[in-house]
Amino acid sequence: MKTILQLKTMSRNFGGLMAVNNVSFDVAEGEIFGLIGPNGAGKTTLFNLMTGLTPVSSGELHYCGELLTGLPPHKIAAKGIGRTFQNIRLFKGLSAVENVKIARHIKTSSGLWSSIISTPSCRTEEKCADEKAWEILRLVGLSDRGTELAENFSYGEQRRLEIARALALEPALLLLDEPAAGMNSSEKHELTGFIRQIRDQFKLTVLLIEHHVPLVMNLCDRIAVLNFGELITVGNPADVQKNTAVIEAYLGGE
Amino acid sequence: MEEFLQNSGFLIVTMVQQSLLAMSLYYPLMAGQLSLASPGFYALGGYTAAIIGTHEFFTPLRESIGWLAFPLEWLVAGVLSAILALIVGIPALRLRGIYLALATIAFVEILRVLCLNLTITGGAIGIFDVPQLFESRWSYIWIFGPLLVMMLFFSYRLEKSRTGRAFQAIREDELAADSMGINPTRYKVLAFVIGAVLAGIVGAMSAPFLNTWNARQGTFDASIAYLAYVLIGGSRSIWGPLLGGAMLSALPEVLRPLKDSRLIINGLVLVFASIYMPKGIAGVISRLKRSLTWKSRKNGGEA
Amino acid sequence: MGTAQFIQNFLNGISIGSVYAIFALGYTLVFSILGIINFAHGAVFTLGAYFTYTLTVGQFGINGLLAGLTIDNHLPFYLAIIIGSTLAGLVGVLLERLAFKPLRSRGGDQLLALVSSLGVALVLVNAIQYLVGAEIYTFPAEVYGTMKPAIMFKVGEQPVVIRTVQVIIFAVCMFVLAILGFLISRTRIGKALQAVAENQATASLLGINVDRIILFTFFLSGFLGGMAGTLVGTSFGIAGPYFGVTYGLKGLAVIVLGGLGSIPGAVLGGMVIGLAEAFVPADYSAYKEAVAFAFLFIILLLRPQGLLGRPMIQKV
Repeated sequence: MKTILQLKTMSRNFGGLMAVNNVSFDVAEGEIFGLIGPNGAGKTTLFNLMTGLTPVSSGELHYCGELLTGLPPHKIAAKGIGRTFQNIRLFKGLSAVENVKIARHIKTSSGLWSSIISTPSCRTEEKCADEKAWEILRLVGLSDRGTELAENFSYGEQRRLEIARALALEPALLLLDEPAAGMNSSEKHELTGFIRQIRDQFKLTVLLIEHHVPLVMNLCDRIAVLNFGELITVGNPADVQKNTAVIEAYLGGE
Repeated sequence: MEEFLQNSGFLIVTMVQQSLLAMSLYYPLMAGQLSLASPGFYALGGYTAAIIGTHEFFTPLRESIGWLAFPLEWLVAGVLSAILALIVGIPALRLRGIYLALATIAFVEILRVLCLNLTITGGAIGIFDVPQLFESRWSYIWIFGPLLVMMLFFSYRLEKSRTGRAFQAIREDELAADSMGINPTRYKVLAFVIGAVLAGIVGAMSAPFLNTWNARQGTFDASIAYLAYVLIGGSRSIWGPLLGGAMLSALPEVLRPLKDSRLIINGLVLVFASIYMPKGIAGVISRLKRSLTWKSRKNGGEA
Repeated sequence: MGTAQFIQNFLNGISIGSVYAIFALGYTLVFSILGIINFAHGAVFTLGAYFTYTLTVGQFGINGLLAGLTIDNHLPFYLAIIIGSTLAGLVGVLLERLAFKPLRSRGGDQLLALVSSLGVALVLVNAIQYLVGAEIYTFPAEVYGTMKPAIMFKVGEQPVVIRTVQVIIFAVCMFVLAILGFLISRTRIGKALQAVAENQATASLLGINVDRIILFTFFLSGFLGGMAGTLVGTSFGIAGPYFGVTYGLKGLAVIVLGGLGSIPGAVLGGMVIGLAEAFVPADYSAYKEAVAFAFLFIILLLRPQGLLGRPMIQKV
């Protein structure tokens, strides 16, 4: 299968602390790839390195053969990488549909002046963006509350809205940071199905951080395990489960 | 009627003019940037108009184009403001929150001291006898009024546009906006430049209106006054700067019978408005509107 | 520049710089606790100067509402400056209660604190104008006692002249800084203040009465502002109700240069700007007023956390 994402010895230290240390692995196109590890293992930092929010200390990131390291977040997003955030970063004071429409930014091109005089092409584009945003909201089951402010949504709904916003970028690679956090078991089950569905529907590659091990084992094609910033192992769920280093990482501290 | 216009004309034009200056602060604020640079660009615009209008170097130009000199002044002021805004904005807009505000205060003060000392700006005395566009003060409503209407329309369209959404996304969460493909620097600078150009043009229109121009036109007090207009009018609504600018700039006149204590009352109004109307006058109005529709809906339901 | 000129500039610089320092400390203390800038600080500076003036001279001016009123018992200057600054401190307390606390308890936008404190500044400045008029007041020459007005010595052939006032200002400021340093680092309330500045929630969990510390901070801030105003007033006269506005703005440059919220930073910033202004060549003295703001702009671009501030870490 074709490699879509390639991490080469990526490292990041924060004043001496190696948050991510020499991590290398490949992600293949179309897979659902899990990133697990104990708290503070450097999973979110790794996401931030991949999306350009945190600059790397050393190492390289290749996406579809292109070098991404050093690019600012908006350029990386424009290459086709969408993400959600562990601590949910919606545009809280704006409505759900506006949240999604904002992410249509790179798929639209109207400049300031054409918007002010409202040229026909701008009106068409605006209408398309609007339709697209509602379509995505329908997909995540939030279309009936599209005009409500994002801050009024429940925790689970906010997580879904964040996924909707990321999907509006029409990404090829979707990074989900703890999408199941705070969900009950039936919601988690639903989420598993939903992630598979969008993967198939949009031909996505999904990279996700998750704490809930059964969900990861059930959902992911392959899993990478991080501990203290270092990659312990990469493999399919069955192999990872048997790996002694992984068991130690999870149980060792206790 | 004529008498009313003579007496109140100056005040009404001032209210419109101050509303426009409040708007110049509103655009950066729409993109989440607290910039207090407007008085600097306002001063720049005024000096541009005053210099083109009075300096002997421009005499042949004025004589050959006549009244067209005025629109030319607005244009030049707008362009110069845009250039200066880019020079100042690109480095300064990397700063956030109060740090940006302080940097813009520094910019305004540096510009003020420069204008106070340069020959071309007339030093401490300033520039006198700036040619008038109209005979009477209230006639200036014919330039400030259309500009206000244009800017309201601009704000209205902007708010619902791709660019406006990018501004709001940055205001809500800059990092998330960046991750959604929006280049924050680009849009922050754009919002800053829009505000600067507006302030510059208003300055260029104001120099003839006020007949004279000096370094007192661009001060820190003005920065804070404009900020007060926007916050008290409502920083989340396109009507906010208009309401705040018009009402607060009229306040000292309305309170004129109180003589010396009027500015004390003015200060108290700022304090109480900050405390009791955190979303501004526009916020209060929309809350009233909501509660009215809610009531009518409730009544309708019972009927 | 000759050696004498250098020494002259240096002495002028540290004298005014020490006033900037104690004035800016008042800003920075409030910022360290609440994360906001109190724009009324410049007005408190003016007010402190008027308080001391009135207590020393026993007059209320000739123009305002209180014109002609006199107090029979004049206080000696050193007592008057303490009482005057204390009164300024109480104004600070009042300011916190009227303009800042209501905003905090309603969870209002931080920006509104700027407007609210500016509203208070407007009230104070115009109240002063209303009550005591707009003219310039000068402290009588003998406030500091019977001393020679200036000290002169020679370096080589060139004379260096220091006004007695400058020496006293410097001495008073150093004295105040020493006491303040002791108060903040050694006493219970000072440590509580540091804890609140570090983290309000944690401090209140530790049993610290945060509200009281905030009040205390505003008192200290007002006290320092009032004292700075008085000291500048004795040196240059009290230049009307708007006296404090320029100092208020320069104070912002001082605290940013040193590092917003940093106490040693405010002292260092004050000295640097005082010295920088003193060393502006006479030919360019008209641009002296811009020096502080040039510093402010440049430091913000190069090192926004200031000379002694901690770098700002952005949380992702």
